[in-house]
Amino acid sequence: MPEETIAQSLIKKGVSRRDFLKLSGLLATAMGLTMAPPVLAAEETTKPLRSARINHAVLEAMETKPRLPVIWLEFQDCAGCSEAITRSNSPTLVDLVLNTLTIEYHETLSAAAGFQVEQAKEDAMQKYAGKYILVVEGSIPLGMEGNYCTIGGRSALDLLNNAASGAAAIIATGNCAAFGGLPKANPNPTEAKGVWDIITDKPVVNIPGCPAIPEVTTGTIANYALFGALPELDSLNRPKTFYGVTVHDRCLRRAFYEAGKFAKSFDDEGAKKGWCLYKLGCKGPTTYNACASIKWDQGLSFPIQSGHPCLGCSEPNFWDGGGFYQGQSAPLDRPGVTAVGAAVVAGAAIGVGNILVNQSKKKAQGGAE
Amino acid sequence: MTWQSILEFARGPFFYAALLIFVGGMVYRLVNVIGLGWSKDRIPTKGSKAAGVVKSFFKAILIWPFIPWVKNTFKRNPLIYIGGGLFHLGLFVVIFLGTPHMLVWKSLLKFGWPTLPLPIVDWLAVAGIVGMLILLINRLIHPVLKLISGPAEYLAWLMVFIPMVTGYMMTHHLWFQYEVLFSLHMLAVDMLLIWIPLSRISHFMFYFFARVIHGQEFGKRGVAL
Repeated sequence: MPEETIAQSLIKKGVSRRDFLKLSGLLATAMGLTMAPPVLAAEETTKPLRSARINHAVLEAMETKPRLPVIWLEFQDCAGCSEAITRSNSPTLVDLVLNTLTIEYHETLSAAAGFQVEQAKEDAMQKYAGKYILVVEGSIPLGMEGNYCTIGGRSALDLLNNAASGAAAIIATGNCAAFGGLPKANPNPTEAKGVWDIITDKPVVNIPGCPAIPEVTTGTIANYALFGALPELDSLNRPKTFYGVTVHDRCLRRAFYEAGKFAKSFDDEGAKKGWCLYKLGCKGPTTYNACASIKWDQGLSFPIQSGHPCLGCSEPNFWDGGGFYQGQSAPLDRPGVTAVGAAVVAGAAIGVGNILVNQSKKKAQGGAE
Repeated sequence: MTWQSILEFARGPFFYAALLIFVGGMVYRLVNVIGLGWSKDRIPTKGSKAAGVVKSFFKAILIWPFIPWVKNTFKRNPLIYIGGGLFHLGLFVVIFLGTPHMLVWKSLLKFGWPTLPLPIVDWLAVAGIVGMLILLINRLIHPVLKLISGPAEYLAWLMVFIPMVTGYMMTHHLWFQYEVLFSLHMLAVDMLLIWIPLSRISHFMFYFFARVIHGQEFGKRGVAL
């Protein structure tokens, strides 16, 4: 029933008007809306919106917009992004997406299985052609004619192309769907690719992370549901609201970085005192994500807070970006003794050769410089 | 091509190649200098050669920099002395005592050392950059320096200046995304590594040879230096 508005469906479920108002306020906050263009457009004003008016914009959208059908495909993934969403415990945003927006197809979450559920997907794709949001989790293998990953006898590439053709927009959640992730790590045996490497004629939003922060995925879906537009994106197609600053910029251990106080091993005095993990290989300074501000499990913690350096999981090719526990500034590869030795020998050989040539020239010229 | 892939190239294969070219190139230069040969030592030694070398290093590193005004070089060209001093001091502190750089050394040498807090390294980096600007302006307006400066001199200045400025901007997240500055920094460093053996920046190695040779010469003759 896509014609039913979001508000109507909530009220039908017994949500009170007061709770509904609270929800839209929380939703606006969770989406990080302050001066976002869709909000400005909705209000037809160029003035920055005050919080109450943002809230109002979200409220109005929820009362007027129909529910948004979502089709969720999984390819070369670990279902970790889906796991993260179902376990996020966030009572508002994630609930809204899982229960109120209609997820028409989700391999891991659907109770049914087999040909019936594939048929249901086909039906949904036809019924909502051009209207649904396609969420992709996992990378797409192109090797062996795409046969490294098949579902119901069809290759991931085929399924993606088919589902993408009728989608209004595509959201690639997790590093695998966005940039290829773990399956793409060297030597990339399945020739895995991210969605945006394959689909070029539809808007693709990347929500990288391992897993993607559930509030970011649902926040982006909600943004589309409410305002009919995708949020503003950076050069890697990530929503700027969530990927605008580095983890380092919002890190609670940042002061220790500035002060030069570092944990040097996982069990030293510095680690116990909560000092900066930069020397243990933290990739926070080059990683754009909202971990340090949204955090996980209802804002309980995130890796750096729990004492583990950032792996940089929202950046392309993070598996091949140097050792996880090697300094973030360190070169990716270290020449071995053989390579350095070869360079030394080559330099010396050319040098000696040069000297010999010069000496013979000198002799020929009769000792002139 | 994204900045991420440029960064991977600059930190990965390009750095690897640049480092090997640097090592090979410096060995080449060294062999060439040694190949120039020594003149035979026919004069009896008056003092101790070794003591002369030790004294020479001791004075050049620990005494003259702190009382520069007693030297004629300073009196004649205080600007070059101060600018050059600031630049070298800043450069050494940043390269060896800045945490990110120490981690580079650690990844290459497999051992690390304690570093200085960021604000100290930061201000010395500023001093180094200001020193370089002073030297450039001086070179551009000084009548004699202007005459003897060719493209190689300005190129050498630029090759050193770009890594310093991009590094500073990166530390403070100025104007560009982090990976853009990191890429530029690494590309500039890689090019500098290749450029060093080909240029006069190789003095960082020959300085020590010059000190040893002059020091032992002074020591041998028993002159006070």
